[in-house]
Formats: sequence, structure tokens, C-alpha cells
Amino acid sequence: MNFAFSEEQQELRNSVRRFLEDKSPISNVRKVMETESGVDEVLWTQAAEQLGLCGIAIPEAYGGLGFGSVEQAIVLEELGRALAPIPYLSSVVLGANAIMLSSDEEAKSKLLPLISSGEGRVAVAMFEKPHDVGVTECETKATADGGNYRLQDTKRYVIDGQVASDLLVFAKGPQGISLFHVEAKSAGVVVSEQPSLDLTRRLAIVELNDAPASLLGSEGSGEEIFERLRDIACVQLANEMMGGAQRVLEMAVDYAKVRIQFGRPIGSFQAIKHKCADMLVEVESGKSAAYYGAWAADNDPEELRVAAPLAKAFCADAFYLAASENIQIHGGIGFTWEHDAHLYFKRAKSSQLMFGDSSYFRSKLATSIGI
Amino acid sequence: MNIAVCVKQIPDPAAPGRLDPNTFNLVREGKLVMDDSDSYGVEMALQLVDRAGGGEVTLISMAPNGETSGLRTALAMGAAKAVLVSDPALGGSDALSTAKVLAAAILRNPFDMVITATESTDGYTGTVPVQIAEILGLPAVSFAKKVTLDGNKAMIERQSESGYDEVACELPAVVSVTAGVVEPRYPSFKGIMAAKSKPIETLSLSDLGLSADQVGAAGAREAIVSLRKAEARQAGQIIEDDGEAFAKIIEYLEQLKVV
Repeated sequence: MNFAFSEEQQELRNSVRRFLEDKSPISNVRKVMETESGVDEVLWTQAAEQLGLCGIAIPEAYGGLGFGSVEQAIVLEELGRALAPIPYLSSVVLGANAIMLSSDEEAKSKLLPLISSGEGRVAVAMFEKPHDVGVTECETKATADGGNYRLQDTKRYVIDGQVASDLLVFAKGPQGISLFHVEAKSAGVVVSEQPSLDLTRRLAIVELNDAPASLLGSEGSGEEIFERLRDIACVQLANEMMGGAQRVLEMAVDYAKVRIQFGRPIGSFQAIKHKCADMLVEVESGKSAAYYGAWAADNDPEELRVAAPLAKAFCADAFYLAASENIQIHGGIGFTWEHDAHLYFKRAKSSQLMFGDSSYFRSKLATSIGI
Repeated sequence: MNIAVCVKQIPDPAAPGRLDPNTFNLVREGKLVMDDSDSYGVEMALQLVDRAGGGEVTLISMAPNGETSGLRTALAMGAAKAVLVSDPALGGSDALSTAKVLAAAILRNPFDMVITATESTDGYTGTVPVQIAEILGLPAVSFAKKVTLDGNKAMIERQSESGYDEVACELPAVVSVTAGVVEPRYPSFKGIMAAKSKPIETLSLSDLGLSADQVGAAGAREAIVSLRKAEARQAGQIIEDDGEAFAKIIEYLEQLKVV
């Protein structure tokens, strides 16, 4: 097993980093977060068309580039570092993987090429109530309507739902929980903004009033798809979080070197040194967990059940710690609106709670390894 | 349309550079990267070939130790192949030696156009493009900020101090492009993977029919004779504002005759 990135993977990282530094510096992120959609359309189009980032892990047969989770993880790490305001986690990670997991040939050939080209943005409606972590309690109802279905109820916390062209919705049908496809512009679908902490990633409330839907895969396969999808998403989110964590660590260390207090740089004080060292240890360990998860997603499905909750819980706490300590090291300036520290802090906090909090994932990990 | 693009591989500008204490030349060890200023020429060439509807872009480079990392970056952008001249005898080459070597490498195949950057980011002589043109007996157009094709002619907008000149130039020609000419693409992972298997031909001096005394330190007509540190900026004057500081500012501006 080789844990080092290949030269080509390193080149991919350089290319994506350069692209985001040129096209979406934090000043751009701030500008985009004030807009109605919260998405940088120009950035999205170039990411999809020129760099091929949206199709990187989609098979070639469905219009993608046919690479794997590790390449995908590299992209996410860089997106997280830049807080890039594009619906990548939602459409490319959640959307594309939900479709692939459904094994629905028709949906795959219809939707995956759209995701890959960036034309389509697929949001996945997974949760309904606060603290929802699973899908078994799902109250959204699916009723058969001729060959198709109608969905009823409200989904919340739908990532990037505001810009979605298509929605994938978990709902309870006659034969159990299943995954359904709903066109976002259908009659009976109302998407509204869900206020959220993270200014750089929007959440939406999706109301389904007898919305026309089609089934993905077989009826009753929803729970299995959900579990697997969440594992994959957790691993990729962990990589995204580590990109942000690395960035705040760099911000903190840079500042500690230049901020003079009591006649010398604050980085020379032991209390600050310890904070930076602790951040480094957490960030490095987190990266290992996140990379391992990405490897497992492609190579060892059984191991993913262990690696995913581990990566999610560990990386979320590491990012939160790093983002908090970054503010502490910056002192007063770190608390201001103008400083970027809070953007990362809010991303860290909301990512920490996404799909379930860290104690939930630690208990899931314990169950997976039989303790 | 076939275009040769000269690409320089330089020490990573992000890492602090080092000068050899004896020759004052830049130390070129370890991994080199593509000079960013060359990415514009590569992109321009790719777009021209694309618009011409056929042909390919060949990279021409000279670097120590058979270094190809920088070339891979340009290949990942879409260039078809590369020619690298690497020879220990080339150490200490001046601009003219470099031009001789690149010209000899270019001459091995017919090209419709040779594109270079205006100057390299590590050497800044800015003389190599015209030297190549002179050796090859081709017209040279420097500082191109826009290049289009019109039959067998290149129509070029050439940046000048006060605006730009419109130049029509018979092909083949050597064109040096500025950083604003086009926006270089970011390589996709597909391009990066494809670059792995693209051919890079490595040549020595003898392959080019050049001898060691014509190039490198031995053939150099230019030498760096001394080096000194850039003058440090002088400290500014700090005026404590007691409510009358504006008078000092006005006084200072009057001194400069700006008010």
C-alpha cells in the first residue's frame, strides 16, 4: 500500500491550488457570499469545463474522467483550503455518488454527464429534523402514481439546494425507504433558504407538495444507499476540512511570526508555540485519516465503514480546534468581521455538525469495530 | 500549423534562490519548474494550432541534468511533444549560447512559428528571442499582446510604451509574447496523466552538431563580473501629529513641487 501521492496527483493539487488562488481568493469568496445564490458561476464553469474537476471520479462511460476517490479528495482538500463557493460537495460528491450507488442505469446515463459537465447541479435531500443523522425516521412519503411517484413533506439542511437543477430525495414508499429523483423546477417543489452559520455554503429547505418523482434503483434500497453515501461524503468532507485546517494553521503560524508583543514576535512565547504545535499534530493526524478514508472508498468497502466515521469525527474536531486556536493566536483582530478567521471558524463548526456530530460518529466507529 | 515554443525550466521562484559565489550564476539544482512567463506562449500556441485546425505544439527547452518536470507541466496543458537539450558542457551558458542551442534544436524540424516569452523570470536578459531569430534568419516580432493568423501571415499587436503597433509578419517568424497575450489554461488531471506518456526527446550538444567551445562557460561572451545588494529603501520620516502635522505634509509636497 502506497500512501504517498504520485507526481501526477501532486500536479493536480498544484493546478487546482493555482486556479483557486488566481480565480477565487478570499476577497472573491466574500463577494460571492453576499450574492443571492452564494455560488460563483464563472468559477464553477471553468472548474468543470477546463479543469474537469466535476467529472474527475465519474466513469468515462458517463462523461467523466474516470479517476478515483483519491483524486477527488485532492480536489476537495484544495476547495476547502480556499473556501471555494461552488456546489462541489453537494453535486459532485453527494449527487454523483448517490446516483452511482443506486445502480440505476437510466439515471446514471441521464444525470452523471450533466454533473460532470457542470451543467447540472444535483442536491441530495437527506435530513428533515434537527439532529437527524439517519434516514430510518424519514417522514417524507412517496406514493405511487402510475409508473411514477409523488412526494410529500419537507426536507431541511439540503446543501446548495438553492442552486440545484435536480434533487435526490430519500422518502418512505410502500416498500420502505427509497431514493427518488425530482426536478427542482417541477410544480410542487418549493426551495427556500435555510439560515445557516456557514456563510460560504448555503443550506436550503425543500418543500415537496405532491411533487412528481421517479424512483432510483429498487424500492426499499434507500437505507443501504444512504449509509454508503454518508460514508463516502464523510470521507470527502474530511478531506475538505483538512484543506481548511491546513490553511488556518498557516495563517496562525504566519501571524505568530510577525506580530510583535513585549518586544518580540508572539511565536517565541511558549503558550503560542504550544498552540501551534498542537494544531500541527491534529492537522497532520487528520490528513492521514482523511487520505486513508479516500483510499478505502475505492479499495476496501468494508474498511470504509470504519475509516469514514473515524475520519469524520477526527477531522471535524481537528478543524474546529485549529480554526478556534487561529482566532486565539490572532487576538483582537481575529474576532473582527474583516479578518478571514471567522469564515473558516464558521465553516469548521458547520462541517463538524454536518451528517451528524463527532460523538455520533465515534459511537458509530465503536459499533463498526465491535466495541 | 506547427509551432515551436521555447520553455525555460527554472528553480521554483517560491523557494529562495542561490547564486554561485564564484561565477555569480544562479544555482540550478534539484527540481525545476516551468517559468510562469512561458505558460502564455504555450497557451497562445495551443490556441493558434486549434484555430488553424491542425498541427501540433512542440516544446523546446535547455536545462541541466535532463530535467523534465517543467516540461511535463506544459505537456499537461496540451503540447504534443518536447525536445530537451541537456549537456554538462552547457553549464554557465550566456544568453547567446542559449539562443544558439535553442535555434539548433528548432532547426531540426520545420515550424511555422516560434513562440517565446518576452524574458525569463530568473535571467531577465530578454535578448534570447531576437538572437534565435537572427541565427535562424527569421523575422522577429517582440512584445506581442495579440496574435492572429491571416493566411500565411501573422497579424500581431505589439505593445509599445504609448500603445501598440499593428504588425503583419510573414511566417515563419519568431514571436515573443507578453504576459497579457492570453490566459493560460490550468491543466486538467486528464492532461496531467496524458503528459506522462508524451515523448520528450533528450539531445546532447553533439546531437545538435555544436561543440563545447561554442557554448556554455567556454563559449560565453558575457560574464557577471560583480554583484552587490540592491540598495535598501531609506527609512521614512515619522511626524507625531500634534494637530499641526498637515502643515508638514504640505511643506513636503511643496518641496516636491506637486502642490
